[in-house]
Amino acid sequence: MSETICVLPCNGLDKCAGDLSRRAALQLTQSEDVELICPVLLNQNKSRYEKALEAGDLTVIDGCNTRCASKLAGDLGLAIKDKVNVSEVAKALDIKLGVEIREDQETQAVVQAVLEKINSSVIDRAESEFVEPESIDYNTFSHGKFIFKVPTANYFFNENDCWVTVSGKLARIGVSDYVQQNLSDILYVDPPEIGDEFEQFDDLGSIESSKAVFEIISPVSGTVVAVNTGLNDAPELVNESPYEKGWLVEVRLSDFEEDQDLLHDCPAYFEFLQRKVAEVDV
Amino acid sequence: MSESTFMGVERDRIDWSPRIDFLKCNDCMDCVEFCPHQVFEVDENAKPKLKVKNPNNCVVFCRACSKTCGPDAITFPDKAETTKMIKAIRKAEKAAEKEVEANE
Ligand code: SF4
Ligand code: SF4
Repeated sequence: MSETICVLPCNGLDKCAGDLSRRAALQLTQSEDVELICPVLLNQNKSRYEKALEAGDLTVIDGCNTRCASKLAGDLGLAIKDKVNVSEVAKALDIKLGVEIREDQETQAVVQAVLEKINSSVIDRAESEFVEPESIDYNTFSHGKFIFKVPTANYFFNENDCWVTVSGKLARIGVSDYVQQNLSDILYVDPPEIGDEFEQFDDLGSIESSKAVFEIISPVSGTVVAVNTGLNDAPELVNESPYEKGWLVEVRLSDFEEDQDLLHDCPAYFEFLQRKVAEVDV
Repeated sequence: MSESTFMGVERDRIDWSPRIDFLKCNDCMDCVEFCPHQVFEVDENAKPKLKVKNPNNCVVFCRACSKTCGPDAITFPDKAETTKMIKAIRKAEKAAEKEVEANE
């Protein structure tokens, strides 16, 4: 594996969990393919790490649930490929970390588990979970009394107003804010079957409001690995959060590079949508 | 909407619209009611009553109305073929653009 990773740990001075995140990060940097990112310096001068972050995927090690490191990455608009939370790892091992910084068998075991977790997910990143971005920025425009939003980056759209956002070999698919507003209150989501294989522009189920049924036309080709079960009880999430909590289908991509040929990136879709909205409603 | 396009390709160069099998169609008009894009037209005095009047209004890759059709009378062109054709046109246009640039 020649893949390099950038490791951003928590600052590690506040309490035991933080200290362990720092220790795990330092151990990781003993490998050649790992670049350590100091959170304080990153915050002060992001450009210092620009090269490293371009070359390698970012792994974040949070100490506790304040998740300072993840939030820092989110604030700076860095894409997180993998994250580990020391407190959660400790909890899974049934180890209470407490506040006091200490070096003993228990803490060593936690560090070891954190390292294993990171290593195994680097090896099979393709198999790993979909990693949600920490925060998403939006561009908006208004038309009459409507305001439409489109993310500023990391989403791709087909002209059927469905989006895809990629995390390794996995991707999530949903509908744009425009669809959601057109349909108004969404009452029912009819998802595809897990395991279904599909081509770009095949349909991936539908969503229904009292006004109409909207067929989800897939922006990519792939295999369905999950559907958003949260929508069973709360289909309104598609209205409330069309690009995030209201995602519809999670898929394993088969050939994203090829699919991209017929997709718009965020700025292009933003323009496309402005034209479309102006045309529909003259 | 004279300049309508799909991924930069003029809409009228893309052959995508519902095809009605009038041996199966029972004139229920569910498809007409369903589609919001004025693709169909109904003429009570004609035979058949249903007509695909504005095929280029049909949303490329949409197949939704065929699901409302009980007797399964609606079909569409082959999606893979259509995708291939759109990609080919885009490629040719990009190459042509490059040529123009090179000649300038
Ligand atoms: S829904 Fe089917 S049967 Fe009914 S009018 Fe349309 S094509 Fe004919
Ligand atoms: S495929 Fe979609 S857009 Fe085309 S006629 Fe049917 S419902 Fe209308």
